[in-house]
Amino acid sequence: MTAEPAVAVRGLTKRFPVPFTRRLISAVEDVDLTVNRGEVYGLLGPNGSGKSTTLKIILGLVWPTSGSAKIFGRDSGEVHSRDSVGFLPENPYFYKFLTGTETLRFFGKLCGLHGEQLHQRIIDLLDLVGLTNAREQRLATYSKGMLQRIGLAQALINDPQLVVLDEPTAGVDPAGSRDIRDLIVDLRKRGVTVLLSSHLLGQVQEVCDRVGILANGKLVREGKLEELLAIENQTELVLENASEDLVKRVQELARDANARLVAQRRSTTTLERFFLDATDE
Amino acid sequence: MIRVLVVIAAILCFGAVRLPLEQKIPAQDRQLTLGLREQIGQLGFAAALSGFRSIVADIVFIQAHVAWERTEWARVLLLLREATTLQPQSIMFWDMAAWHMAWNASAAVMNDESQSLTVRVRKQHQYFDLGKDFLERGIQYNPDNPRLYEAMARLYQQKYEDHLHASEYFAKAAALPGAMSYDRRFSAYELSYCDGREREAYEKLRALYDEGEKERLPTLIKRLKFLEQKIDIPQDRRIPDSA
Amino acid sequence: MRRTLAIASNTLTDLTRQRVFYFILIFALILIGSSVFMSRFSFQQELQILKDISLGTMSILTSLLAILATARLIPQDIEDRTAYTILAKPVPRYQYVLGKLLGVLGLLVISLFIMSALFFAMLYTREQTLLSEAMRQYATAPREQLEDALRTVRAAGLKIDIAQAIGLLFMKASVLAATTLLVTTFATTNIFTVITMVFVYFIGHLQEIAREYWLQQTGNGWFTHLFLALVALIFPDLQAFNRVDQVVAGHALSLGIFTQTTLLGCFYIAVYTTLAVVMFYGKEL
Ligand SMILES: Nc1ncnc2c1ncn2[C@@H]1O[C@H](COP(=O)(O)OP(=O)(O)O)[C@@H](O)[C@H]1O
Ligand SMILES: [Mg+2]
Repeated sequence: MTAEPAVAVRGLTKRFPVPFTRRLISAVEDVDLTVNRGEVYGLLGPNGSGKSTTLKIILGLVWPTSGSAKIFGRDSGEVHSRDSVGFLPENPYFYKFLTGTETLRFFGKLCGLHGEQLHQRIIDLLDLVGLTNAREQRLATYSKGMLQRIGLAQALINDPQLVVLDEPTAGVDPAGSRDIRDLIVDLRKRGVTVLLSSHLLGQVQEVCDRVGILANGKLVREGKLEELLAIENQTELVLENASEDLVKRVQELARDANARLVAQRRSTTTLERFFLDATDE
Repeated sequence: MIRVLVVIAAILCFGAVRLPLEQKIPAQDRQLTLGLREQIGQLGFAAALSGFRSIVADIVFIQAHVAWERTEWARVLLLLREATTLQPQSIMFWDMAAWHMAWNASAAVMNDESQSLTVRVRKQHQYFDLGKDFLERGIQYNPDNPRLYEAMARLYQQKYEDHLHASEYFAKAAALPGAMSYDRRFSAYELSYCDGREREAYEKLRALYDEGEKERLPTLIKRLKFLEQKIDIPQDRRIPDSA
Repeated sequence: MRRTLAIASNTLTDLTRQRVFYFILIFALILIGSSVFMSRFSFQQELQILKDISLGTMSILTSLLAILATARLIPQDIEDRTAYTILAKPVPRYQYVLGKLLGVLGLLVISLFIMSALFFAMLYTREQTLLSEAMRQYATAPREQLEDALRTVRAAGLKIDIAQAIGLLFMKASVLAATTLLVTTFATTNIFTVITMVFVYFIGHLQEIAREYWLQQTGNGWFTHLFLALVALIFPDLQAFNRVDQVVAGHALSLGIFTQTTLLGCFYIAVYTTLAVVMFYGKEL
């Protein structure tokens, strides 16, 4: 059991019929993918590249045309493969007539929780996602970011070993998006496996251990982030308080060693970091 | 796609399996539903059978009542026929229909001075017959309910003045569960007016009399005394005078 | 079981927060309430008309409620993607479908309960009024005449048969709900479901006749024969549950018929729900 990876996808192909024609469109094409226990795996790719479809197959919501998907060694077709899984769908939508607390209670019951244990879990999770104040509000009054957070809370209700997040940061403002990334990092620290998808590469870059890149349903690249992005024959130096003189000497050293200085510029912050610093004050 | 075919096949199989079950549960009014269609057409038929029937019948009945208040007799007859066809299990509809014909409409034609007496009498009898007709059909549909037999007995008694039939129908009513307590008595009273049936009537009345104080009503005693005289019951077997 | 109940109670909450439920319920209560006035038109047998109108209203509106409430349940969940979140939990699909159906049945119980409460209250009050009127009218008449009069009123009043007939109305509405659930697993739009169910409703009430003609083999052409057979085999016999007319007209509903009909209803519900589950297991979200 321990040897099984958290998620194992083998030769996965999914074709959807095009309505009113006899053609099929291929959403996922022969994908092999492994998510190891305890890692954060990012499934990246542009819109329509097959990320959501892959995740839905893993969760048993859609069946593969061919190939297989397993969670902790159990086939996704089995109900019990989802015993220890939390899922946040893309643009989640819950029952508008329930309050935050009621929503979590409902999903908790679906996971077989009840009584005091469930009650405590709800309080903890509302606190974790910062919705304690809004807990008695109907979901109809929640903003997009709040819905995303209650969605995260329901994904975590059964204290899952694997959390699957479809576009968790899409449509959320930078502060919310940072909170979500912090939460993912926190989950990893606790040994929870996270599988997430995103078309916003920059936003997930810092949290993913490994990424897979999907394009037109095919997995075109997979690996550790730094390895994928490293340019083999280049090294970056970032200096603080460097004098003009020091910079000149470094350039000379480089020339002497037959290396070429490719770029030299003032460091800038990202716009996102700038925004976060500004709104934090 | 295969799944859809399997499900359709399953529905058909289920249909075949449940068929004997459905046949086993006695339908409330099979012959009636078949008869209904001839009378009210496809659309009304469908509506009538789909849970709207009682309501449609009630509305028709209320219309008949309104027509009666306006003394539109032909319309009353038509609407009452419709109401009883729609809801033949309603005793009240048959009873009221017969009453409107035999009592109200018949009285109205008798009062119609523009017609000659012979015409009026003939018409009056036609209305009696219409009333009888309603009751006969009502009894066909509801053979176990004493109310319509009682109504029929009253019709014979008061309109046709046919005491033998009246007695017969009161007796039929008396034999059914839920009969009025007077049915048995009335049957005997009516019989006491029939020539040649005096002995039988006497026996019945006497039996009632012997049942105790409850049955010893003034009319019963009067009829009993009348018969004792008529068929010469020996003095010692007659009922006492001061009853 | 807990999961099914959680889904059922959630479905019930969802349904009771929808306007159409209140619309239908209030409409029903108005009709039942007004039956008192309508029945005044008919002198004498006002209790019968009161019962006819009230029970007829209950029959039609609970059927309508069953169809409308069930028609959008699952499609709406799929459209809103709430079904994703639910089925991504360790919830077997049959429990999901069962929970939805139970939610609707709960709604039907609640609405029939409210309607019956009003109806019984009115029937009881009118019955008491008529009884005391009869007492006054026959105060001087012999005792047995009074008793006959009282008996006539009581026979038309509140009796256990009525509760049984209402029980069968519930069975009919439940059968319609289960059928609607099955149709939604085929259907692509709500309109399609509702139109199909309106057909099922009407043809279901005529099924008995089609079945009779079919089984009697009254020498029609093979086409008519096939048509009648299909109607008899596909559609549920809804008329079997319409014992209301019979009861109102004063014909007793035997316990045997009541039980048999109830069992038949359970059988229908079980089969249609199973088929809906089978269809739903093949459905991709
Ligand atoms: N239920 C479906 N029916 C038909 N085509 C679908 C369905 N779901 C997804 N697709 C198609 O599959 C492709 C991949 O979609 P998706 O997995 O949602 O992409 P992503 O999540 O990467 O944006 C798209 O071309 C989409 O149109
Ligand atoms: Mg997507």
